[in-house]
Amino acid sequence: MDYLRLALKNILRRRLRSLLSVLGVAAAVAVLYSLLEFQRGYERGLNQELEQLGAHIMVVPKGCPYEAATIVLHGGKWPRYMEEEYFGRIAATPGVGDAAPILMDAIIDPQGRDSRIFLGITDEYPALRSRWELVAGTGFSGPAAREVILGSTMAERLRLSPGDTFALRQDAAGRAAGKQDADLRVAGVLARTGTQDDGLIFLPLATVQELFNLPGRIVVVLVRAERLDSGAIEQLSDDLRALGGNMNIFPLTELVENAAQLVQATRVFVWAIAAVAIAVSAAGVLNTILMAVFERRKEIGMMKAVGAGRKDVFALIWAETVLICLGGGLLGVSAALLGSRATEWFLRAALSSQFAALPRTTLIGFSPPLAALCLVLATLVGMIAGSYPAWRAGAVRPIEAIRGAD
Amino acid sequence: MSARPQPAHTHGPHSDGPLVEAVDLVKVYLRGDERVQALRGVSLSLPPGDFCCLLGPSGAGKTTLLNLVGALDTPTSGRLRVAGLSLHGGPSLPAAARDRLRRERIGFVFTEFFLVPTLSAIENVLLPQLWTGRQDRRYAEELLGRVGLGGRLSHRPSELSGGEMQRVAIARALANRPALLLADEPTGNVDTATRDGIMALFRELNAEGLTILLATHDQELADGVDRVLPLSEGRIADA
Repeated sequence: MDYLRLALKNILRRRLRSLLSVLGVAAAVAVLYSLLEFQRGYERGLNQELEQLGAHIMVVPKGCPYEAATIVLHGGKWPRYMEEEYFGRIAATPGVGDAAPILMDAIIDPQGRDSRIFLGITDEYPALRSRWELVAGTGFSGPAAREVILGSTMAERLRLSPGDTFALRQDAAGRAAGKQDADLRVAGVLARTGTQDDGLIFLPLATVQELFNLPGRIVVVLVRAERLDSGAIEQLSDDLRALGGNMNIFPLTELVENAAQLVQATRVFVWAIAAVAIAVSAAGVLNTILMAVFERRKEIGMMKAVGAGRKDVFALIWAETVLICLGGGLLGVSAALLGSRATEWFLRAALSSQFAALPRTTLIGFSPPLAALCLVLATLVGMIAGSYPAWRAGAVRPIEAIRGAD
Repeated sequence: MSARPQPAHTHGPHSDGPLVEAVDLVKVYLRGDERVQALRGVSLSLPPGDFCCLLGPSGAGKTTLLNLVGALDTPTSGRLRVAGLSLHGGPSLPAAARDRLRRERIGFVFTEFFLVPTLSAIENVLLPQLWTGRQDRRYAEELLGRVGLGGRLSHRPSELSGGEMQRVAIARALANRPALLLADEPTGNVDTATRDGIMALFRELNAEGLTILLATHDQELADGVDRVLPLSEGRIADA
């Protein structure tokens, strides 16, 4: 016989009432765990995507890059290019670790079924991509080779393997603009990355420049900084701006930081929801235990008559409350984990308007530290909610309780 | 009364003096605006090993006196010492010391049994030991065997008769080896045969040295004790 066993027996005395209290705490803890883990997963996903991106700064010609991308994807002409020699100046800037020039063009199917996006790259590009891995074939045989490397999705769609021929056929507008058809050897196929690379066709930069009649042109330079701290990135961005050339310098960390700030801003909201849920459950627990104390007043009086001190009774009632809350906490974390897929689906749907680009990674997983935090919080709630009933129980005067006086 | 050997189930003698010494105890309650004088100057002395009965009708002040002696309540005036500790009329005793006195030196048997319904017979007996931190299951089993319930250790109160429940309550009162047993109408809720059994048990315990103070209105019960103190309207009529 010990305090915990006695407390457990007392809890089981009113099974339904205790169960409802446990469920109340469980619901609050499940909400808390799900929301916090969703936030953590979102931040984790963003960081992963930044890591996959490989680049820290994007240098593009002045103008809206989104507008430019939209124009190209609809078969228009890229509004502004930069000269390739500008890439050399960027690569030579102190603080630049790696830099990769890119030229992009597209052949668009008006029906939207067979659009193809071509990326002209150099040997530097794979170094900037964390998931650049060939599952078949090799890299380009030379800087102006008539070869392509296919993203995994594109290779499946075209049903092409290394050694096959990819027939590049320009549309009428392209031919009018001096673009050329060509039969290109498939040099390799990329492993699936889960990024936009999966749907692209990669060619050597010089080949794209020749076939798309864009000699000496590029549209973007991806830059990886030597040091990845906000001060170094900021300094490098300033240095690149100082190069002039009518360019826009986008530190990509800022984009992620902006997204992370958005997440941070929701943290207050999340805690507010969780706080309300916890307060409601704590009130439920307090009510349950307080009722039990009133009902067991004579019994508590007897315990004091046979020697239980104020602290002993306080500890017993406290233990009952903490057990209920701890049980609720365990149930809540378990429920949150079991229902994580459904919760994630719901949150993704609910937050899609606020978070334009939710990471594709799983956002709600098992986080032992967070589960421990929830259990500690549930225990704390129990200790706080149980204080008043425990104090009332400890203050019961045995003689009044035994007499049955109020 | 002759000195008796200390039984195995008590903590041993507290001192050479009386176990209970009350002098001119007065207890006044306030019931709304009305002052109720429950005790009007009661004096009594219980030497170790005494078996004494407070006999009187309902409202005579028996329970009040028992509660004062059991450190459950405090007198309005007078002096009271129990097991060598001054409960009133001397240096004030901290609440923790009163708790310890009840826990270690005094056993209570109530008219209502006050057993915890979710606990088995053995667990109910072990309950007072929870507060001392010294769990002695073998002794608890021995006590239940002693009161004739050795075969019903794991039965819950709802599975026991009234007489059995009172015997569990008596075993519980003895769980911490008290020097003094206070019994308030212990046979009030049991039949005649059970009453006789309980009294036989009390006499047996007393014969082993346990001091017992019994409160009852039942003359037949009083006939079985060493000493009867008739209590009437808050006074001991003839000590």
